[in-house]
Amino acid sequence: MRLTPDQFWTYWEWLFERGGLLGGFLLALILAVLGFIAGFLIATIKYGPAEGFLQVAKILGEFFTVDLPKMSIRRIFAIAKLSFKEAIRNRILIVVAVFVVAIMFAGWFLDPKASNPAQLYIPTVLTFTNWLMLLMGLFLSTFSIPRDIANRVMYTIVTKPVRPTEIFLGRVLGFVAVATMNLVIFGVMSYFFIVRGLSHTHDLESLQNDGLAGETTSVRFHSHSFTLNEDGVGTTNMVKGHRHIVRKVGDKVVVSEQVDDLTARNPVYGTLRFTGRDGEENTGYNVGYMSEYQKYIEGDTLSSAIWKFENVDPKLFPDVLNFDMTLSAFRTYKGDIETPVGGVVIFRSLDGEVESDRIPFRVKEFQIDQHSIPLKLKGFRKGEPADLDFFTDIAQNGSFEVVVRCRDRGQYLGMAAADLYLRASEGTFVWNFIKGYISIWLQMFIVVCFGVMFSTFLSGPVAVIATISVIVLGMFGWFIDNLTTGKISGGGPVEALVRLPLQSGSETQLDLGNEMIEGAIKGVDRGLLFSVSTLKSALPNLYDLETSDFIAYGVNLFDGLLARHLTIAFGYFLMTSVIAYFFLKTREMAG
Amino acid sequence: MSSAAPAAPETNPTTSSAPTNPDIIVETRSLGKIYRDFWGRKKVQALKSLDIEVRRGEIFGLLGPNGSGKSTTIKLMLGLLFPTSGRAFVFGKEATDVAKNERIGYLPEESYLYKFLNAEETLDFYGRLFDMPASVRKERTEALINMVGLQRARRRQLREYSKGMTRRIGLAQALINEPEFLVLDEPTTGLDPIGTREMKDLIVKLREQGKTILLCSHQLADVQDVCDRVAILHQGELKELGRVDSLLKVQDVTQIHAKGLDENTKSQIRDLIAKSQGELLKMDNPTTTMEELFLDIVRDSENRPGRRSSNAS
Repeated sequence: MRLTPDQFWTYWEWLFERGGLLGGFLLALILAVLGFIAGFLIATIKYGPAEGFLQVAKILGEFFTVDLPKMSIRRIFAIAKLSFKEAIRNRILIVVAVFVVAIMFAGWFLDPKASNPAQLYIPTVLTFTNWLMLLMGLFLSTFSIPRDIANRVMYTIVTKPVRPTEIFLGRVLGFVAVATMNLVIFGVMSYFFIVRGLSHTHDLESLQNDGLAGETTSVRFHSHSFTLNEDGVGTTNMVKGHRHIVRKVGDKVVVSEQVDDLTARNPVYGTLRFTGRDGEENTGYNVGYMSEYQKYIEGDTLSSAIWKFENVDPKLFPDVLNFDMTLSAFRTYKGDIETPVGGVVIFRSLDGEVESDRIPFRVKEFQIDQHSIPLKLKGFRKGEPADLDFFTDIAQNGSFEVVVRCRDRGQYLGMAAADLYLRASEGTFVWNFIKGYISIWLQMFIVVCFGVMFSTFLSGPVAVIATISVIVLGMFGWFIDNLTTGKISGGGPVEALVRLPLQSGSETQLDLGNEMIEGAIKGVDRGLLFSVSTLKSALPNLYDLETSDFIAYGVNLFDGLLARHLTIAFGYFLMTSVIAYFFLKTREMAG
Repeated sequence: MSSAAPAAPETNPTTSSAPTNPDIIVETRSLGKIYRDFWGRKKVQALKSLDIEVRRGEIFGLLGPNGSGKSTTIKLMLGLLFPTSGRAFVFGKEATDVAKNERIGYLPEESYLYKFLNAEETLDFYGRLFDMPASVRKERTEALINMVGLQRARRRQLREYSKGMTRRIGLAQALINEPEFLVLDEPTTGLDPIGTREMKDLIVKLREQGKTILLCSHQLADVQDVCDRVAILHQGELKELGRVDSLLKVQDVTQIHAKGLDENTKSQIRDLIAKSQGELLKMDNPTTTMEELFLDIVRDSENRPGRRSSNAS
């Protein structure tokens, strides 16, 4: 699972320090100015500049003085209820049937040999539900208002004391209610699909060590080994992302259903910095991968990865300090391929005077490497051996550093900030699962807002295309960013179109033998990319709202991140409401 | 040397103030509408400088052939269209003001309603749009369903309704807010003669209750029967405006209705007209209207089921 630095920001940090509020405000301001200019130009063409200005001012005035204050909840609910009934009577519940069929056969296509079935099942179900909900939001929201205008039912609505905002809000509320009902059904079915799909147990294959260790039978392409304590209780090893609890009941050894595959860990993250082989600060080594997500430290040198944790609450760790690692290894020589690359972990105080003993580990790639250390531990104070208390001596005021080094000469360990975290109490998987669905809900909500907004001034099919554009730009905005910044080579759409028939590789320079034509192509591409990029910056980044990885990888979705997504969705709701208001207010319903 | 005196500034009716007379329900001032295409090019001038007033308590008819501007006028009054020139006021407010809709009931040309709702749901929905509490909505829904005679079909979806039934539920939704001013666009379209008569009786009854009604129709008989005043439009222009009785009255023709005259007496009347230098245009037995004949037959048939009507020859 990859976490970007911005995902660690707290809600308030994002809102006030990282420009969340300012960005929203600027977007609102730019749209307001552009909207005013466009409105004024249109009104000027119709009525002349003076009368045009008066008309625009009048509409603006009515928005604040009449139409907003006189909104009626009853009218909004009336239109919402109507939209709900309309959707139900248009047989929207057929989508539920589609989902049921998909879920029934999904098991056939999920690889039973997967290294971690939970990380296969959960993203599959969540991604499928996500796209289904986006499509549902799209088709629910874009046709109703154009249909009402086309078949003139709108005549009987707008000749009642109904305000444009009420039409928009009622429609959005109704469609969101229908979609929410579907989403709840999908959520419940998905939950049982996942739980049922992962549920299994094993029988006893063999016992050793006077019955205190043994092997389970192979079920679903894996088996476990286990050890039991003197009370006859133990756990199996972690295979395919889960364990089993094993108990001796009388003469029999009973293996429970799997545990630890559906989790919601509450990680405490730190900030990461690196030192180079000479011990000087650097940004970590790049071992040649294009992705710069993880940086590497060199083995058997002073090269270190140092995580700084601040204000860690001791109450989160009453007995032991749990920490997980998801490091990767890069070998410059093959070496002993059976033995993973080794490293050490050191906990030390911020001033560096107190540090723990070195905790050796062997890197476990592609899985969560779980560790825990006792709170009373041995270490060094000013270089002298000492018995230490973690929160008194090392983590003074809850702040400390964790140093990771690679032990094997010539080998490298790779890490990003999210690859070492303290594992505090465990959240409940169900609540985390619900949070994942809230993320899907937010995306659907934004799509419905845009769909209804577009439908206030476009015909149904055109509104669908416009909303699809929002979804595509929202889901693949990162691609546009990479294209604009040149991270993806090969140029823009026109250059790509030229390269295709010429079979010219994207990594080579465009060479048509005519600099003027090449310049023209690149110029048009720059213009196109600038336009798309500008448009994208005003649209919601739906990709960022996608949180299925958190659920799949068992990380409790950060409340701050969810609150941020809620705020972003609300911001777009306000934006689309205002735009829809002006379009409904200024269009002729009988035109 | 310029000898021409400066021209007196023309008063611009579009900038004059809103009417204050509470007895004028609708007032249009030089109201005009030009339909344009996507590029803003003029397609058709649907209405040219219309000046009319609808007064409190009257039934005002808008009459004219297809494309004469009747529907455009109504849509401008309801704020469904925006005027290209001039202004329209309803209850002293701009026609585009949403607040005026509190006091208006509108029956469109076709009953444009949600076909997936039934009669009760339809009226409840429109009642909610007037922000009515549930108890009032229930009461009015009940009364209106009874009034328009849809008791048996109240739970059927409107998609199953006949044209006449749709018209009736359309009228009921127009009356849900007990409006002071009713706009009826072709109210008798799709109704059978009995329905037509009921509709006309209802319109008159509503006027008696103090409501003001604007009626737009092709059916000249409807307009003649119920309207107090009419405006006749043609090609977007107002051609005639006035009271129905005075418009229809032929000033230089005298009409005599008498019963039980023998041929001799009729001959004396002819002589008398000739002696007074008058011209006898017509003297014969009067005919009733087809509508009257049809209604008489139906009434007779209902009174004496199974027998051929006495009116039939």
